[in-house]
Amino acid sequence: MAKSVVLEIVTPSKLFYMGEAEMVIVRTLTGDEGFMANHSWACKLLDTGELWIREAGAKDFRIAAVSGGFICVKESIIIFTDAAEWPAEIDVGRAMNEKGRAMEWLKSATGETDKNDVLRAKIAISKSLTRMNVANGGMRKKH
Amino acid sequence: MQDIKRRMKSVGSIKHITNAMKLVSAAKLKKAKNAFEKTGKYFHYVTDVIEEIFHNTDDVPLKYLEGNREIKSTGYVVVTSCRGLCGGFNSNVIREAEREIAEDPERPKIIAVGGKGKDYFKKRGYDIRGEYMLPPENISFLETRAVSGPLIGMYDAGEIDEAVLIYTSFVNSFEQRVKSLRLLPFEIRRDPERPSLKKQMEYEPSAKDVFNYLVPKYVEIMIYSAIVESAVCEHAARRIAMESATDNANSMISSLNLSYNRIRQSAITGEIMEIVSGAGALK
Repeated sequence: MAKSVVLEIVTPSKLFYMGEAEMVIVRTLTGDEGFMANHSWACKLLDTGELWIREAGAKDFRIAAVSGGFICVKESIIIFTDAAEWPAEIDVGRAMNEKGRAMEWLKSATGETDKNDVLRAKIAISKSLTRMNVANGGMRKKH
Repeated sequence: MQDIKRRMKSVGSIKHITNAMKLVSAAKLKKAKNAFEKTGKYFHYVTDVIEEIFHNTDDVPLKYLEGNREIKSTGYVVVTSCRGLCGGFNSNVIREAEREIAEDPERPKIIAVGGKGKDYFKKRGYDIRGEYMLPPENISFLETRAVSGPLIGMYDAGEIDEAVLIYTSFVNSFEQRVKSLRLLPFEIRRDPERPSLKKQMEYEPSAKDVFNYLVPKYVEIMIYSAIVESAVCEHAARRIAMESATDNANSMISSLNLSYNRIRQSAITGEIMEIVSGAGALK
């Protein structure tokens, strides 16, 4: 059994998760990255994506959808994110709708549209994609 | 006599309404308080990391820090409520905002949260750059971006050099205090006493990027928690206002009742006197 480390996941409105974890995988701005106990100290920005936690002693990973934020790795790991959801909390229909709406909007966008709006629509698409993936058990099914 | 009776009836029905509103606010206060207690708690993580980066890196970007540019124009975020009947809650916030604005040389830009503040400043011709109108009870963090987004945008674009948040902070159910807080530029001082980190910290993409991400995040979170806190205060203020309205209605009814009974009694006495004197005349 691997060593475990205290993991806290915090959103502005609540403490989302707290517990002992053997490993946590997050999507940083440069790609997916896994952290285990005794990782060198780091502070990295996160992208919208899946969050995988292997709790101490557990075989399987728990997954959640997170959007943005940062991870701070020291003696314990703290993840601060704008929003976090367990698969059970995700409304797949709503995510589909949102994705559809953003796609439509992107199609209608022309060269003159504000760049920030385009960016926002793309973020909305990636958020709903993440939600849908997480609700279906994550992109990577097996570990 | 008829008049008094009618007044008693109308005061009575107003009392029913204020009493019901009091109960509703008390229930909402409880809910809002729960949400409020959950928020502020984890906030220190963000400020901690900001300070850590500031103390351990030499090339922190100056954009968000104090003293990098002269403060000329100010943007205010004024948090009020959308509904009235909550005592001095809104007027206290607006008075504080007016006081702050009076000290500024340049015309301020205002982001109004809540209808009352927006109406007030719009009527007086202020430059309103953003507004948020939904009831704040179950606001989510992402929704408050509608407020913080334009503020940070204006600061980045150089339209404002300072951002001030004016809101009501919750002391207890009977006391709320209006607070004004400077969000940007971020006030931080080099503290020589502070021990540097034991280990080398690895930042990604870079310490600068993390810092530039965190400071706006700090602003967003501050605004979010101010809105949540202000919602608690609104309900607390309304509960108190409605409670005293109910008490006033009670005392009004009892004094009206007293004078009604007096008039009735004097009318009866008058009638009896008439009868007695009439009977006396017949003898």
